[in-house]
Amino acid sequence: MHAFRKARAVCAALLTVGTVAAAAAGCSSSGGSAASSSSSGGGGTYTFWDPYPQYNNTSDWAKLVESCGTQAGVTIKRTGFDTTALTTQALLAAQQGKAPNILLVDNPVVSTLAKAGALTTTATNGLATGSVATNILGAGVINGSTYGVPIGANTLALYYNPKILSAAGVNPSSITNWASLTAALAKVKAAGKTGITFSGINTEEGSFQFLPWFWGAGASLTNLDSAQAVAALTLWTTWLKDGYAPNSVIGDTQTTAWQEFQTGDVAFAENGTWQKAAAAAMGAKVIQIPGENGGEAPVPTGGEFFTIPVQSDTATYATSAKIVSCLSATANIVKTDNTLNYIAPTKAGQQAQLTADPSLSSWVSAVAVAQARTGNNLGTKYPVISQQMWTAVQKAESGAATPAAALAAAQSAATAALAK
Amino acid sequence: MRSAVRPRGGQPRDEAAAAAPSRGPRRSRRERVIRSTQWTAWGFLAPVVAYLGLFYAYPLYRNIDLSIRSYTVTSFVSGNAPFAGFANYRAIFANPTFAPALLNTAVFVFVSIAFQFAIGLGLAVFFHRNFRLSGLLRALFLVPWLLPLLVSASTWSWMLNSDSGVVNAFLQAVGLSPIDWLTSPTWSLGAVLIANIWIGIPFNLVIMYSGLQGIPPDVFEAASIDGASGWQRFWRITFPLLRPVSAITLLLGFVYTLKVFDIIWIMTRGGPATSSTTLAIWSYQLSFGSLLPDFSSAAAVGNVLIVIAVVFALVYVRARHRLEAL
Amino acid sequence: MKHRPAWLTAIGVGVTAVMLFPVYWMVNVSLTQTSNMRKSPPNLIPVDGTLDGYTVVLRQQLPYLGTSLLVGLGTVALTLVLAAPAGYSLAKLRPRGGGVVNLLLLVAQMIPAIVMAMGFYAIYIKLGLLDSVWGLILADSTIAVPFGVLIFSAFMSRIPDELLQAARIDGAGSLRTFGSIVLPVSRNGIITVSLFAFLWAWSDFLFANTLDNGGSLQPITLGIYAYIGNNNQQWNAIMATAVVASVPAAVLLVLAQRYVAAGVTAGAVKD
Repeated sequence: MHAFRKARAVCAALLTVGTVAAAAAGCSSSGGSAASSSSSGGGGTYTFWDPYPQYNNTSDWAKLVESCGTQAGVTIKRTGFDTTALTTQALLAAQQGKAPNILLVDNPVVSTLAKAGALTTTATNGLATGSVATNILGAGVINGSTYGVPIGANTLALYYNPKILSAAGVNPSSITNWASLTAALAKVKAAGKTGITFSGINTEEGSFQFLPWFWGAGASLTNLDSAQAVAALTLWTTWLKDGYAPNSVIGDTQTTAWQEFQTGDVAFAENGTWQKAAAAAMGAKVIQIPGENGGEAPVPTGGEFFTIPVQSDTATYATSAKIVSCLSATANIVKTDNTLNYIAPTKAGQQAQLTADPSLSSWVSAVAVAQARTGNNLGTKYPVISQQMWTAVQKAESGAATPAAALAAAQSAATAALAK
Repeated sequence: MRSAVRPRGGQPRDEAAAAAPSRGPRRSRRERVIRSTQWTAWGFLAPVVAYLGLFYAYPLYRNIDLSIRSYTVTSFVSGNAPFAGFANYRAIFANPTFAPALLNTAVFVFVSIAFQFAIGLGLAVFFHRNFRLSGLLRALFLVPWLLPLLVSASTWSWMLNSDSGVVNAFLQAVGLSPIDWLTSPTWSLGAVLIANIWIGIPFNLVIMYSGLQGIPPDVFEAASIDGASGWQRFWRITFPLLRPVSAITLLLGFVYTLKVFDIIWIMTRGGPATSSTTLAIWSYQLSFGSLLPDFSSAAAVGNVLIVIAVVFALVYVRARHRLEAL
Repeated sequence: MKHRPAWLTAIGVGVTAVMLFPVYWMVNVSLTQTSNMRKSPPNLIPVDGTLDGYTVVLRQQLPYLGTSLLVGLGTVALTLVLAAPAGYSLAKLRPRGGGVVNLLLLVAQMIPAIVMAMGFYAIYIKLGLLDSVWGLILADSTIAVPFGVLIFSAFMSRIPDELLQAARIDGAGSLRTFGSIVLPVSRNGIITVSLFAFLWAWSDFLFANTLDNGGSLQPITLGIYAYIGNNNQQWNAIMATAVVASVPAAVLLVLAQRYVAAGVTAGAVKD
C-alpha cells in the first residue's frame, strides 16, 4: 500500500514486521542479526524483561537477545511489558523472590528498584561500565554504587517546521534564548499558525518536558520555588495565555503533542530523540533548547538501563553479566540504538552512529550535556520532587494558581514528603 | 438453557401476584421451609463461600496489612515493615488532597449513577416495547463494553480535546464557544462524568431490561384493562415490581463507580491539579502512578473506599429485609 | 400482538446512533493517517484515509482473538457454575448468615483490582499457574462471581414460592428443583450474568498483564500493547485492534440477543 506513508508514520514499529518499506524509508533496519538459533545450550533458561512490547519474537531486537543468550550458553525467555506495568511487575516479582535474571528498565526507575534492594551492583555482578559516558551512567549511580548500564540515551530538543518558520519570517538560527524564541512564537501566531507544542501532563512525562526550561533558567530540583523556577513556569504559562501553545498541552503526552506537530500547523515541538526518523520524514529540523539567557539548556537523559536483579542463585550473575555485555557491545548497541532512535551511551558507539549518519551530530551533542534526573545524589528523592513539580506545572497551566504560588506549595509539599 | 421445560404448577396470574411485593402474609409456611432447608441452603452456598475464602481473603488481608504498616519500596520487597497502627489513615485524612478527592468522589458517584440509572431504565422500558429492530439495537448498545477501557477512554479524550476534538468542533458549528473539557479545572470532572455515564448505560440497560422481561405480560394487560395510563402503569406496577432488581443495580452501580479509575486516569490523570481526582484515582496515584510507590497510604485510601461501600451495602441489606418482610 | 409503529424504530435508531457515536469515532481514528490525527477541526469522515492500521493488525493480532474467546467463555462457565446455586440459596433457601455472605460479596468487589492481581500473582507463582489460560480464567471469574451471585439472588427472589413447593410436593429433591425449575425460569438472570462475565473477561487488561504476560496464549487486550511503545504510541493501529477485536464479539452478542428474543416470543418460558 502506501509504503512511504506507512514508513513515515510508524517507522520504528514497522521494524517489528520487518518489511522492506521501513528500510527504504530510512529506518536503519539491518537485514537480520547474527542470530544463529541453536538448540538450548544446556545452561538453563534465563528470563529477560524489557519495556518494548512493540517488538515481537521476529523482531531484530528479539533475535539479538536470543543470540546473546546462545553465546552465553543459555536460552533466554524474553517478555516485553508496558513501561508503567514493568515497574510494578518487577517489584512484585522481587517480593516473591522470582525476579527476572535481566531487567531492562526506564532510567529513573533504577533508583527506586535499587532502593527496594531488588538490584545488584556492578561490583557484585561484574558488569563493566568503563566506556559509558558519565552523565548517561549517572541515573544508574546511587550513593556511589552503580546498578546497571544504559542501553542508549535519548533527550529532548526543539523540532521545527521550516515551512512555517520561513512563511512567518523567522530564521531558526536567530533563536538563542527565551526572548528570541518567544518573539519567534509571536511571529508564527501572527502568520496564523500555532507556535509550539510540548507535553505538560501531570505525569513523569510532564516533568521530563519541563526540566530543560527549569534547568535552563538555572533552577535546582532541591529548590522548587526559586525565582529561576518561577521564571521557567511563567514562560510556559505565558505561552499558553498568549495562545502561542495550544491549551491541550496541559493533557498532552509526548505522543499526542507530536501528533499536533505532525498536522503541519505547528511551528515548534519540544520532543525526544525517538522522533528523529518521523521528523526527517516530514522535513522537520531540530535545534537545541535554549537557556533563558542564551546557551544550550541542560536537558534530562531518557532511556533504559540493563540491570541484574537479585537472585537466590548468585552463580547466575556471571552469565547474566555476559549476556548484558554482549547486548551492549558496540556493534550490537549501535544497531539497537538505531532501531530505537536512541544515541549510543559510549564514545565508540556515538562515533559509529555519526559515521553512518552525520546529521545526528546535534543529538550527540545534546546527549553530551544532558543530566540524569535522579543525579546529584537525588536518587529516590527525585520521584517525590518530580511529582510536586508536575503538580505545580498543572496548577499554573490550568490557571488554578499563579506560577509562584503553585511552586511554593510544591516546595512545601515536597519538603514534608521527604521528611517522612 | 433448557428452554423447553415449562414450570409446573401455578397459573401465570398467580405467579404475577406472588411476584408483587404487596402479596399477603405466608409466613408460617415460609418458616417451615426455612427449618427444613438449612442444610440444603448451605450446600448450595458452600462453593461460593469457599471461593471467597480462597481468592479474596488473602488480597483483603494484604490490603489491610499494607495500610497498618508503613511500607516503603524496600520493605515491600523484603516484607518486614514496622507496625504503624492508624498513622497512615491519620496521614491521609490530614492530606490536603483528601477533602477535594472525597468531594469529587461523591459528585462523580452520585451524578454518574443518577444518569446511568435513569437513562438505562428509560431505555429498558423503551426497548421493552419490542418494535422492529429492537433486539438488534439493544445488542448494539453493548458494543461499548467490548472495547478495552484504554480504547474507549482514549476515544473520549480524543473527542473532547480542546483544539482538535469533534465535540468542540460541533459546539463551534452551532455558534457556541469551545470548552476546555479536559484541561480546565471547572470542566474536567464533568468531562470524565460524561464518559463514565456513557460507559455505564449498557450495564443498567441490560439488567433493567432483563428485570422487565421477568414481569409477566398479563400484569400489564390487566392494568390496561383497568384503564391505567402508561405513566400510571409504570409508577404503580412496573417500578414496584422492578424494585429488587433496581436495588441491586443501584448498589452494584455504586460499588463499581466508587472504584472507577481507568477512565479518569486515561482522560485527565485526575487533573488539572486535583480537579478530577477521586479517592480511587488518588489511591492509584500513590501506588502505581508514581515512580516511588507509597503502598501503605494507597492501601489506606483503598480501605476507606471499602468502608464507604460497606456502609451502603448495610443500608441495602436492611432495605432488602424490609422489602422481604412485606 | 400489537401494532408496532415505525416511529419507535426511528427513535431507537437515533438513540443508538448517538450512543455509538464514540465507537464510530474510534473507527474514524483507526482509518486516519497519523499526520491528520490532531487536525483542527477534525475530519468527520476519514478523508484521505489509510488502511495501514488494519494491515498491521490483521497480520499480527488474529491469534489473540481466539484466546480472548476461550478466556471469555471459560469465565462464563465458571461464573455460572459457582454463582447460580449460591444466588438460589440466598434468594430462596434463607441460609443463616446469608446477610453476612451478601455483605462479603460486596466487600469482595471493592478490593482494588491491582491488589487482587498482586494476590493472584503470589498464589500463582507458587502453584505454577502463571502464564496459563486457566489461571487467567480463574482470575477473571473473580470479577464476575460476586456480581453473578447478587444478580441471581435478585432475579430468583421473584420466583413464586408456590412453584418450588409444588415441586417438593411432587417429590423433587432440592437438586432437581434447582435444575428443572429454578434454572429454566431464571433464564434472564443467566443471560445477564453470562453477558457481563463474558464482557469483563473480554476487556480485562490488568489480570492478563500481571498473570499472563509471558504466556504463549494471550488475550487481545495484551495484543494492543504491541502498539504502545516506550515513547510512542501508534494510535491508528491501537484503534484498529479494538475494532477488529470487537467485531466477532459484537456478532456473538447480536446472535445471542436474537436467540434470547426468539425464546421469549415463542413463550416457551414464563418467569
